[in-house]
Amino acid sequence: MIIFTATTILPGDPARRILGNTADQRAVDVLNEELGTNRNPFVQYVDWIGGALTGDLGESYRTRRPVSEMVGNGLENSAKLAALAFLLVVPLGILGGVAAALREGRLRDRVISVGGLSATAIPEFVWAVLVILVFALWLDVLPVTAQAPGGASIVTQVEYLLLPALCLVFVLFGYISRMARAGTIEALDADYTRTAVLKGLPQRTVIRRHVLRNALLPTIAVIATQAGYLIGGLVAIELIFNYQGIGLLLLRGAQSKDLPLLESAVLVVGIIYVVATLLADILYSLLNPRIRLGGAQ
Amino acid sequence: MDETLRRVDEIRKSSSELENHLIDELVAGKITRRDFIRRGAVVGLSLSSLSFIAAACGGDDDGAATGTGNGETTGQAQGGGTLRTGIIAPAGDLDPKTVADEGGLAVLGQSGEYLTWSDEDLMLQPRLAESWEPNEDGSVWTFAIRQGVTFHDGRPLTAEDVAATMNTLADPDVGSNALSVFGGVLSTGNARAVDDATVEFTLDAPNGNFPYLVSSDNYNAIILPADYDTTQWTTDFLGTGPWMLDTYTPEVGVTYVKNPDYWDQGRQPLPDTNETKFYAEEQARVLAIQGGEIDVLSNFSVAGGGALLNDPNLTILEIRASQHRQIHMRTDREPFTDKRVRQAMGLLLDRQAIVDGLFEGRADLGNDSPFAPAFPSTDTTVEQREQNVEQARALLAEAGMEGGFEIELRTWDGFEIPDLAALLQDAAQQVGITVRLNITDPGTYYGDAVYGQSPWLDSTFGITDYGHRGVPNVLLTAPLTSKGPWNSAHFKNSTYDGLVADYAAALDLDSQRTAAREIQELLLDESPLLIPYFYFHLGATRSNVGGTVEVTGMGHFDVNQAGLTG
Repeated sequence: MIIFTATTILPGDPARRILGNTADQRAVDVLNEELGTNRNPFVQYVDWIGGALTGDLGESYRTRRPVSEMVGNGLENSAKLAALAFLLVVPLGILGGVAAALREGRLRDRVISVGGLSATAIPEFVWAVLVILVFALWLDVLPVTAQAPGGASIVTQVEYLLLPALCLVFVLFGYISRMARAGTIEALDADYTRTAVLKGLPQRTVIRRHVLRNALLPTIAVIATQAGYLIGGLVAIELIFNYQGIGLLLLRGAQSKDLPLLESAVLVVGIIYVVATLLADILYSLLNPRIRLGGAQ
Repeated sequence: MDETLRRVDEIRKSSSELENHLIDELVAGKITRRDFIRRGAVVGLSLSSLSFIAAACGGDDDGAATGTGNGETTGQAQGGGTLRTGIIAPAGDLDPKTVADEGGLAVLGQSGEYLTWSDEDLMLQPRLAESWEPNEDGSVWTFAIRQGVTFHDGRPLTAEDVAATMNTLADPDVGSNALSVFGGVLSTGNARAVDDATVEFTLDAPNGNFPYLVSSDNYNAIILPADYDTTQWTTDFLGTGPWMLDTYTPEVGVTYVKNPDYWDQGRQPLPDTNETKFYAEEQARVLAIQGGEIDVLSNFSVAGGGALLNDPNLTILEIRASQHRQIHMRTDREPFTDKRVRQAMGLLLDRQAIVDGLFEGRADLGNDSPFAPAFPSTDTTVEQREQNVEQARALLAEAGMEGGFEIELRTWDGFEIPDLAALLQDAAQQVGITVRLNITDPGTYYGDAVYGQSPWLDSTFGITDYGHRGVPNVLLTAPLTSKGPWNSAHFKNSTYDGLVADYAAALDLDSQRTAAREIQELLLDESPLLIPYFYFHLGATRSNVGGTVEVTGMGHFDVNQAGLTG
C-alpha cells in the first residue's frame, strides 16, 4: 500500500518512463491505455491485489513479461548468492569470534576484532571494486561478472559468484564474529562452564558441549536479520557484477514506475524477512532448552 | 580523356535534374568530393556512378580528419568462432514498434534490416532498398526494393511488407516510437506498394533528407512481414539480416547464428556465432572488456571508461557524432528576455577547455546551433563563437545587468552533465552571475515531458541531453520551432520557422547549406540555447579482434566482417 501510494504520488508516468522523454505524446497515450495506467489509482491497486491473491502477479509494465517469472528468476539468483555468502561467512565468523574470545584482550583478539570491524565499515561496493581489481584484472583468476553463462555447472556458477560472495564475507564477518565473540565470552564466564572445567573435562569438550551452544544464540539472531539484506539489499553488488538478482529488479522497477513488478518484489522480500526471522526463532528455541521447556512449567 | 567525358555525359543524360545539379556543384568546386558522394547517395545515384564522377570531376577532398573511424584492425580475421559484444541492456520490451533506447535498437539491428544503413560517416548505404529517388520537389520518394530477399522463416520480402511496416509505424493509433521521426513528415497510409518491387512515399511536405528517415537512424523501422505481430518478436527475432536467433535470455543477452541464406554476398558473416551480452551499468561493461569477457564494446563514455583509452590491449573506435547537450534559457522569462544576456552567456564559455576537460578532446566544438560539424549540410564557414569575457560584460551592462544576477539551473545527474553544470557555474561567476544548481534524477527533471508538467520544458535555465541523429531535421524543429514539443527555451521566431521549412524542403546540398547558414547565424544572434559540444561516439575492441567492427553514432554495431585473429 505504501509502495503503491508513494509510486503513484511521485512525478512521472510509466509509459513516458518506458518510451523516453522524446517520445511522441500519442505513443505514450497508447501505451498508458494498454497498460491500464490511466485508470483511477484505487482501481489499479484493487486489480493488482485481486490478481495477487489468486497467484497472478500481473505483467511488468517495462518488459511486458509475467512478473512471477521475473521475480522468480531474481529470487533464484539472489538466493544462490546469499547461500554461498552464508556458507562462507557463518563458519568463518563463528570461528573468528570464538578464537578471539578464547584469547580475550590479546593480539589474536585485537587483530580479529579490529580487522573485522574495519572490514565491515567499508561499504560492499568498495569491496566489489577492490576484489575485481585484484582477482579479476590483476591476477586474472576469477571472472569480472557474476552471471555464469546459461546451463553452466554448479562449479562454474560458484566460480562466478565467488567474488561478490567474497565482498559480502568481508562486510558481514565483523558483525558475526563480534556477536560470536561476545556470546563466547559470556558463556566462558558462566557458572556451568566453571562446573564443566572443574569436572575435569578437556577444554575442547567444554567449548564444544557447553560454550558454543550458548554463544551461538545471539549469533543466530544476527544471522537471521542479515538474510533480508542478503536477498533484497544488494543493489550495488548486483549492479557492479551485472547480476540479475532481486535488488536490481527493485531498482529498475522503481526507476520506471513499474508497479506490478515493484509491488511483487517488495512483497517477496518482505516475506523472506518474516520467514528468516521465524526460522531463527525456531532454531533459537531448539538450541535453548530453557525456551523450549519454559512453556511446560 | 574523351572516354571519361563521354561516360560522364552518359551518366548525366540518364540522371535527373537534381542529380545533374549535384554534379554541377561538384564541378564548380562548391562541394567537396566527399560531400558529393554522400549527397549523391541520398538522392539515389548509384555508387559506381558516384565514384566514377567523383574521380573524373572532383575537386579537393575534405582534408579535415577528425575521428579515427571504425577499426580496420591489424590482423586477418579468421572465419568461424564466436564474437562476443557487450551492449547496454535493453531498457524495455523488445517490440520493434516500441523500442526507444540504445540497447534495444542495437538488438533490432542484428537480425532485422532497414531500407538503408546510415554508417559512421552519416553516408547512406543501400540495404533492403536498392535505389531511391525524389520527384522534382521532394514531396514523393520512390524506393526500389531489393528482390530475392527472404526472411529467416523463408517468406520472401515484398514491397507490400515495406509499405505495411512503414504505415504501421506512422499510425498514431498504434503509437509507435517512430512517430517522433515520422510526425509531420509521413502520415499513415501514404506508403504505397506500387508493385512487388517498388514503394512510393507521399510526404506531408517536401523533405530533402527523407531517405535518412527510413534508414537505421529510424531504428524502429526494421522491415517485417505485412501481417506480423510485433509483440511476439522476442520469440523469433524475425528479420532479413545476417544473424538469426539462437537463444535469448531476458536481461542477460542474445546469441545469434549466421543466416546461411543472407542476400548480401559482399557481407556474409565471418563469425559463426554472434553473442550479444547485456550490461545494465557502464561500469560492468567497461570491466567486461578489460577482463576479456567480451571482445567488442559498442559504446562507452570518457567519463565512465577513461581507463580504456590507454589500455594497450584495446583498440579504440572513435566516430564523429551529433550527440550533445542543450543549455536552454527561456526567452520569455527574466533575466533571459533580452538576447544580449543570452549572447553574453554564450561568450562566457571556454569551449575547447570544456571539451578537453570532459572528453579528453574527443568532441567537436558546438556553435550554439543544432548544426553539428558532422552533418554535411552544416555551413562550417560560420564563425565559431569563442570565449570573450569582456564582451560578455559589455553586453550585460548594455542590458542593464552589470551587477550580475541569481538564477537556478535545473538538470539531472547523468553522464557528464553535473560537471558541465559546475563549469557553467564557474564561468558565470566571472561576471557576477550566481548559478544555483538544482540537479535531480532524470525522472524528476523530465517529469511528464509535456509543458506545464516538466522542469525540462518549464524551467528558466536548464541542461538537456540529446542523442545522436543522422540529420539535423528533428533537432531544428522540435526544440526550436514555435510549435515544437521540446522547446524548453520557449523560442518563438517566425523567421526561424520559415528558414527551417526551407531547409527541410531543400533537395540539394547547396540550398541546404544556404538555409543552414542563415539558421546558424540567426541562432547565434538570438542564442535561445547554448550547445558547447558534439561529442564523439566511442567503442572498443580487444586487440585480438581482426577485420572491421562497425559502430555508429546511433548505437548500432556490426560485427559481420570481424573475427578473432587466433
